[in-house]
Amino acid sequence: MELQLGLSLPSTPIFPFKMLDLNSYGYELREGLGPFGINVNNNCDSCSSSCSSSSSGGADDGGGGTKKRRLFDEENRIVPKTLPLLFWTNQRPNDEDEPKDVDDHSSSAIFKNDGEGLVGWPPVKAWRKKVRRRVANVRAAVENSCGGRASSSTYVKVKMEGNAIARKIDISLHHSFESLTTTLMRMFDISDENGQKSFKLTYLDREGDWLLAEDVPWRTFIGSLKCIKLIRSRC
Amino acid sequence: MPKRLASSLSDEVLEHVFSFIQSEKDRNVVSAVCKSWYEIERWCRRKIFVGNCYAVSPEMVIRRFPQVRSIELKGKPHFTDFNLVPDGWGGYVLPWITEMAGAYPWLDEIRLKRMVVTDESLELIAKSFKDFKVLVLASCEGFSTDGLAAIAASCKNLRELDLRESEVDDSSVHWLSHFPETYTSMVSLNISCLGSGEVSFSALERLVSRCPNLRSLKLNRAVPLDKTANILRLAPQLVEFSACTYSAELRSDVFSNLAGAFSNCKELRSLSGFWDVVPDYLPAIYSVCSRLTSLNLSYATILSPDLIKLVSHCPSLQRLLVLDYIEDSGLEALASNCKDLQELRVFPSDPFDAEPNASLTEQGLVAVSLGCPKLQSVLYFCRRMSNAALVTIAQNRPNLNRFRLCIIEPNTADYLTGEPFDVGFGAIVEHCKALIRLSLSGLLTDCVFEYIGKYAKKLEMLSVAFAGDSDLGLHHVLSGCESLRKLEIRDCPFGDKALLTNAAKLETMQSLWMSSCSVSFEACKLLSQKMPRLNVEVIDERGPPDSRPENCTVDKLYIYRSVAGPRFDMPPFVWTKDEDLALRLSP
Repeated sequence: MELQLGLSLPSTPIFPFKMLDLNSYGYELREGLGPFGINVNNNCDSCSSSCSSSSSGGADDGGGGTKKRRLFDEENRIVPKTLPLLFWTNQRPNDEDEPKDVDDHSSSAIFKNDGEGLVGWPPVKAWRKKVRRRVANVRAAVENSCGGRASSSTYVKVKMEGNAIARKIDISLHHSFESLTTTLMRMFDISDENGQKSFKLTYLDREGDWLLAEDVPWRTFIGSLKCIKLIRSRC
Repeated sequence: MPKRLASSLSDEVLEHVFSFIQSEKDRNVVSAVCKSWYEIERWCRRKIFVGNCYAVSPEMVIRRFPQVRSIELKGKPHFTDFNLVPDGWGGYVLPWITEMAGAYPWLDEIRLKRMVVTDESLELIAKSFKDFKVLVLASCEGFSTDGLAAIAASCKNLRELDLRESEVDDSSVHWLSHFPETYTSMVSLNISCLGSGEVSFSALERLVSRCPNLRSLKLNRAVPLDKTANILRLAPQLVEFSACTYSAELRSDVFSNLAGAFSNCKELRSLSGFWDVVPDYLPAIYSVCSRLTSLNLSYATILSPDLIKLVSHCPSLQRLLVLDYIEDSGLEALASNCKDLQELRVFPSDPFDAEPNASLTEQGLVAVSLGCPKLQSVLYFCRRMSNAALVTIAQNRPNLNRFRLCIIEPNTADYLTGEPFDVGFGAIVEHCKALIRLSLSGLLTDCVFEYIGKYAKKLEMLSVAFAGDSDLGLHHVLSGCESLRKLEIRDCPFGDKALLTNAAKLETMQSLWMSSCSVSFEACKLLSQKMPRLNVEVIDERGPPDSRPENCTVDKLYIYRSVAGPRFDMPPFVWTKDEDLALRLSP
């Protein structure tokens, strides 16, 4: 049984919550919520006037509520010994912060960070990934031996570092790294020799790892390929 | 000194009365009635649950509760499951075992989750507790089959050994053979996490055949099909069984042997495993399907048509775990066949592919919410969702108590309207008044947090990722959710203001996790200095946080309340306030 640490919130809040009247906060609440029937503004009014939670500061109930505690009567309130760590000011939070980066919704965020992928997303347990890896390998091996690919489509996305536009390539037309590389160089207009040497072929496998294509045999590459990225080799 | 209010009842009578009170919450209330009840209760408390092993020290637990028989401890934060907590963070059980070895000679149950368990700990358990009965190691690591051998050899009355989802090193010891021939007490054995080299099949068969009380058996993947049939024939009394590897092609002799073995198992209620299953073998289990209440197919690559056939044989199903191969059509079949369904978990077969590889959408979940009146617990991975669907689900199933939705692509909007999911999740928290656990996903603004703070009064655990616009979002949750115990956040623009304004709230919660948010090290230090009953841990592998520019935000932050003070087993990448650093033992 959970040990009761007996910590409940102080009866008077540690910090002046003047700005917890959400309606006067300055934060624009969404209106017109369509057919779903939740009208935020109405609800918020009724909520703030009847809110009696000791944890939230609630609204200044000039509007008529039944709350007994006058939280904003500063002269009468005794501030406990614990010092206020922050006064919640009238200012819109994070005003001085940079505007939130609008994510590029067109490319998958799972593959962002320059191809490194998001750690721990989607939230599938590492244990489950490991088991599925074993299962997937078995499946891939079975399907490869029958000559087919795991998914029905043979087109894979190809991106090049520094190039915003992704292309698609029909992987079933290729049977070796040489032919694949030649096609890719042509596709991205990289003139041979120097161009070829300055790029490395990497790919995302079915387990979500980015790997160097040159490290694996062609069959393995084909069996677990999800998409391709050409990155600049730095040597 | 005022006369004892309860003086009309003697201590023995009170203790007898208290023995009927099992729930920890009730026990806590009882102990707070008056000093004498506190005293009596603490001497007769037998079961302890510690949700965060660092919230209290073993010495403190022992001092208050001297006669404990059963303990459950949890260590690392939940996001460890998704590789967000670096190795070596902590959660070591040895200090606990060491203290309890001396203080609780009659301890017979130890249940651990996300803790580091060494062979030394296991050997100490085997040696110290004479009547040891139950060992559950869930998502633990740090031990090998050597430790298991020690347990097998010494614990004559062991009833339960459950290693679910733990990582066990193979020391090449045939640990199963260490159970003496005279050992017959096993009731529940879960070794599904072990690799193929770690289980001797003949030792397993002998063990199963001499344990008549065996009710739950979860084997690892290396046991072939014909052996599976043998095991089942040795233990027809099984209630729970985790099946093993299915062979690649159907052989009619193996099939009929297996079908016969299953048909003997009249008590079987729960099946799982099914790795590499070939659908042709599924009919072998049809004889038990009508009685099945729990089915875990989440490792099986069975496609929708076969899944539909299977669930149509299982009208008593209460719990189903499955991959998205079930598709909307399979979930519709589930909704019409399984009216007793209480829990549904749908996992992604290919979580890293931007394109869906199975036709599973929000429609499947809507169908189940409509057709299954007892549905309480949902975990659902999908690639598209709408507010309309969420509102429908909320209205259909106000009895939901756990709702975890993962729209795989971060920041995905309502596919019908392009809107964020504020309204949809708002409907969930508004209608589902008993909701205790919620996980959010998709495009979300601060508005959803306002709804959560307003309506989710019973919510105990909230998981948030890639959501919100500003500190106001976090502020709504911390100021509104009265029952909140665990809050875990990643990749949200929440920062110092919301955290510091709600500092007092943090002491009423078990823990707060924030990673890739906008909290500064300065704020962490301030919080740590002013709130001595909080442990504020900055987890940052890039080096000392104060060596970076002031406006640099911390990588990961884990705050938890504790009466044990700062811990002394922190690795180098965990940073706390300066005074703590001086107290650390040198590495």
